[in-house]
Amino acid sequence: MILERYLCVKQKGPLRWISWTGSICEHMIECHDISFQYPGADATLFQRLDLTIDRAGFHALFGPSGVGKTSLARIISGDIEGFSGGVKIAGDRPCLYTHNRERLPGWSPVGRHLEKTTPAGRHTLRDELIDGFGLSELMGMRYSQLSMGQCNRVNLLRYLLQDFSLLIMDESLANVDEPTRQAILYTIKTTFPEAGFFYISHNVVEVCRFCDRIVVFRGAHQSPQILQVGGQDHYADHPLDKAALERSMLEVINAA
Amino acid sequence: MLHRRILQFLIVYLLGVGLLLTLKLALGLSDYVIPGPASVWHTGQSEFLRYAGDVLDTFGVAVVGQVLSIILATAVGVAGRRATWLGSFIKVAAYNVQAYPIVAIAPILFILLGDGFLTRLFIAAMICYFPLLLSVIGIMSEPVADIEHFYRVTGRLRWQLEVKIRAFENLHKLTTVISGSATLAMAGTIVAEFIAANAGIGYSIRIALYQSDLAKILVALFIIGITLSLYQGLLEMLGTGVKKAWAAG
Repeated sequence: MILERYLCVKQKGPLRWISWTGSICEHMIECHDISFQYPGADATLFQRLDLTIDRAGFHALFGPSGVGKTSLARIISGDIEGFSGGVKIAGDRPCLYTHNRERLPGWSPVGRHLEKTTPAGRHTLRDELIDGFGLSELMGMRYSQLSMGQCNRVNLLRYLLQDFSLLIMDESLANVDEPTRQAILYTIKTTFPEAGFFYISHNVVEVCRFCDRIVVFRGAHQSPQILQVGGQDHYADHPLDKAALERSMLEVINAA
Repeated sequence: MLHRRILQFLIVYLLGVGLLLTLKLALGLSDYVIPGPASVWHTGQSEFLRYAGDVLDTFGVAVVGQVLSIILATAVGVAGRRATWLGSFIKVAAYNVQAYPIVAIAPILFILLGDGFLTRLFIAAMICYFPLLLSVIGIMSEPVADIEHFYRVTGRLRWQLEVKIRAFENLHKLTTVISGSATLAMAGTIVAEFIAANAGIGYSIRIALYQSDLAKILVALFIIGITLSLYQGLLEMLGTGVKKAWAAG
């Protein structure tokens, strides 16, 4: 049986959905020939950049600050227009971008906000994620009463409850302690095996351990601008190959 | 908040009266030009009730004018918050029209509408409308990106929610602007009464001016100041109460 798939195409304009009847999209994401320069900037950020991720899963955008991780994420999600080239995302649901500076409105408690923003039929998932993210105790509190790590966890949780083909998490777990971050990443990977994720982080151990593909940004003046390195894509119930993890880390550091 | 407002007014008022008395003593001016404290006190005793009634009359017009301005400025500000052609037009028009002194067109209103309630109301509303409008447009056209992002990307950002987010995040600014516009509304009404009306404290001040009776003017200023301080203090308390109630869900 051939499934009807949809391709979301964004090319310097509004979002368009193109039906590919009888044809299955080969890649989860394709960025082709992307060039971009911020208005008023002296230098080009991306020059004919190509990126292909062949399958859904948990992937990373990695690199030092200022090399364009967030910019590429915003181009992919449609936040930035005015670039040349094309972006194609497989799947019939939208691509969402979330970052660690987002806030919830202050007029209702966290629990009520999550209740209002949870789509129909996902209340069980919401309750599971609240437990998995260690947020059960905070549901009666206001956003302004939470710590920065708690804020980031709540924000990420509400995105995970939405419809998406690809979720880009831009330092979404910043200020969260190490064990909780690990537990959350394992929860996300096991709960959403069919979805695509881009995880932006500066933690080389973390991205090498949890991510399948690591897109390493090398700066605007290096060619190629990005390189892909394989990660360990580790799950909680699998043994971790420490030697392979160290090799991944070395590759990432060398690529950067 | 309320007592602070009253205290601030009393300090400013006493400083002003003190300056006048210093001038009187320094220049050796007669009681006819600047009356002594006893004369002001006696005038206060005899005129207080009449002037208090006049101030309340003026205050009533100013409050109605201010409420009308707030409603209109909110409606136009919400409509003009978008970066559309209409939004830009409303902003440019508001900036240009507010630059024109409303008091200068007051005589036209008196000629057209007479010297009754409606003219005073209209002038009061016009004087506090444009500063309010500019503030509301400024607040409403400034996105609260870190809150609105989620609603925008998930397709939930309706205009009502957008306005709610921006109003909540800027409630302190809005309260300050509304509180400040009370002074403008009161000043507008008094100026209107001073120009041509036949009622209100502005009219009484005009009569006192014709009589060259500074004591009456000082008494009128005292009652106006106390009334405005009370009103502004109450508006600030109301703003704080609304913010607390809103935040408490």
